Amino acid sequence: MNRGPFIFLGVFLIVATSWTFVLFKSNQEVGQLSAVLDEDLGKYVPGKTIGAAAHGKEVYQELGCIACHTQQVRVASGMDIARGWGERQSVARDYINDERSLIGNVRIGPDLSNVGARQLDRNWHLLHFYNPQINSQGTNMPPYPFLYEVREVVGEASANALDLPEEFSPGEGLEVIPTRKAESLASYMLSLKVDYDLKEAPKSNETMAEELAVALENAQ
Amino acid sequence: MNLIGNICSSLFTDLSGDSKSREGVRGIDASIRFPLLTLIKSAFIWLIVATVFGLIASIKLHSPGFLADCSVLTYGKVDPIFWNTLVYGWLFNAGLACAVFLLSRLGGNNVGLGVFLTISVSLWNTGVLAGIIGIMWGEQLPFEWLEFPAFAAPILFLAFLGIGTWSLLTFRSRIHRSSYASQWWILASIFSFSWIYTAAQVMLVCMPAQGAIQTLVNSWYVENVFGLFIAPLAFATLYYLLPKTLGTAVVGYKYSGWAFWSWFLFASFSGIADLANGPIPAWVSSLGVIATFGLLIPTTTMSIQFLSSLFSRFSVIWDSATARYLLVGCITFLLVMYHKIFGALRGSLDTTQFSLYDSGVTQLALFGFAGMTFTGAIYFILPRLLNKELPSTSLIDLQFWSHLMGLILVSIGLISGGTQQGELMNGSTAEALVVVKTMQSSFYLTTIGMVFFLIGAVASGATYIGIMLSTRTPEETETSLIKEAPELEYSAS
Repeated sequence: MNRGPFIFLGVFLIVATSWTFVLFKSNQEVGQLSAVLDEDLGKYVPGKTIGAAAHGKEVYQELGCIACHTQQVRVASGMDIARGWGERQSVARDYINDERSLIGNVRIGPDLSNVGARQLDRNWHLLHFYNPQINSQGTNMPPYPFLYEVREVVGEASANALDLPEEFSPGEGLEVIPTRKAESLASYMLSLKVDYDLKEAPKSNETMAEELAVALENAQ
Repeated sequence: MNLIGNICSSLFTDLSGDSKSREGVRGIDASIRFPLLTLIKSAFIWLIVATVFGLIASIKLHSPGFLADCSVLTYGKVDPIFWNTLVYGWLFNAGLACAVFLLSRLGGNNVGLGVFLTISVSLWNTGVLAGIIGIMWGEQLPFEWLEFPAFAAPILFLAFLGIGTWSLLTFRSRIHRSSYASQWWILASIFSFSWIYTAAQVMLVCMPAQGAIQTLVNSWYVENVFGLFIAPLAFATLYYLLPKTLGTAVVGYKYSGWAFWSWFLFASFSGIADLANGPIPAWVSSLGVIATFGLLIPTTTMSIQFLSSLFSRFSVIWDSATARYLLVGCITFLLVMYHKIFGALRGSLDTTQFSLYDSGVTQLALFGFAGMTFTGAIYFILPRLLNKELPSTSLIDLQFWSHLMGLILVSIGLISGGTQQGELMNGSTAEALVVVKTMQSSFYLTTIGMVFFLIGAVASGATYIGIMLSTRTPEETETSLIKEAPELEYSAS
């Protein structure tokens, strides 16, 4: 116990064992997955995030949305399914395309893994980012006015100007235009949906019962 | 002009009096004075910065419109800045200050290399600053406690390597062949941090693992930064300062080795318990739960050691500011471990997962256990290092009580509020807006707590400035000002 090398070796062995068991072994188990062909959809799933949505994902990371929002659905505990946040358990294969994991572990706001299936209206998202009080009154989500440009209406109003309620309008003769960042973030939100099944992903009992009922009906 | 003279006299002390007994100690102190003051100064600055950001973040939770126009101060940036300055700014600097002081004093030898250490420390703080600017700039990574952009990592790593090398050299050049518990804890923490930091950076940034594994790496890292670095430094400080302030050896010192190894073994596996039901193999979190329960062994051993020592000389706590800080540190340690161990149980995790409960327990651990212990230690180190009295006991009282008050308010706000939030969120289908409404009072409580933390942080900064700038009184030029405590470390083992 009196010698440095002994402590060094002991601590090294402990940290190395922890690394091997926790990280290395799990990486071997679920860290080398690839996309699988979904025959119903006729494509490989999960698909990649591309185009404006990919840029939106960067904005999501830059603004630190992960501080309040997760992107994972649990079946075995919690109320995620009952809340309509998803239909099945999130599994490792769902995240294989994420270079930077945005799974998150704090929920001050709702889970977003299926927000694109819940809220299809692009304008809803754009209004929500400008000031969440517009369509979710009482929330503590901060507004993001710096993702928008307020400018004077010259001639006819711009086509992409926000349709703001009276009390949120910046003033007479002014319009609010989403910047590219806001547009991309909205595209990213719309792209967030888990619309495919994976055979390793458990579903909730309710979903399974529903599916069974449908299958039985078809069989008859 | 006078103030500059005072700073010079603080930095380059010239003492008179019988110096034979203290000659060795004075030589050691002189060699580490500058790097140590750099560490302490940076620690206090970062503490103030961290509490300011913590305050902004907590105001934003109940008043989302606060500073909303400012893109660099949005909640998603302020929150990681708060945590990173708290951990890498305040706790690393303060913890390493304790480590440097303890290693030098316990080693009993002047290893020199003060310039090298000062450069490493400054490099570390440059890295932290660069990381924070990076987060504001929008370059943050989405990993808890690793939000600093990729360019900050090599700076931090290099700086830490420098500090680590200095620590190793100091330990090697010790004059006593045997070593004391504090030295094991410090060495082990420094080894561990270099490894876990490397492992995390490689698996997250250099060669990123697949998405789900990244969360696992991240959880493993975060818990290990506390369990294998910050907590060990605090233990080291307690093992050294309890005998020094109480004048008695640590009760049951012979069990220290047992506590040391069992802590490292179980702590290194414990952080992964809260990933239950997520997209990673189920056995991983089960392993975490088992390991977390293993922590009962070292927790019990060390709590008995520390608290029995404190209670055996309870009257000292009224006289010595440091002992008071250590007492709060030890009690908070027990509370933190209670929450960590029983919070890892599947039943409680089902309620608290993803809520602010975790954040509350972590703040209790960082501000309470580690923060209180390190602050107490700094108030012990500063007078010895400068051969000056602390400028004002009322400033220290102010700091102590406001820090304690902040601790109580923030932990009630986040731990009980987080449990409430978890119950609603995980146990019912209540609307998100209802959850926010219920949490409102907890958010306000946290904000008030943060204000207290800020007052405490400013008071400790004022103490530092005060002791550096005060004019040296005639007593303070005498070596007899500081009465050295008996060396109990080696007689106990």
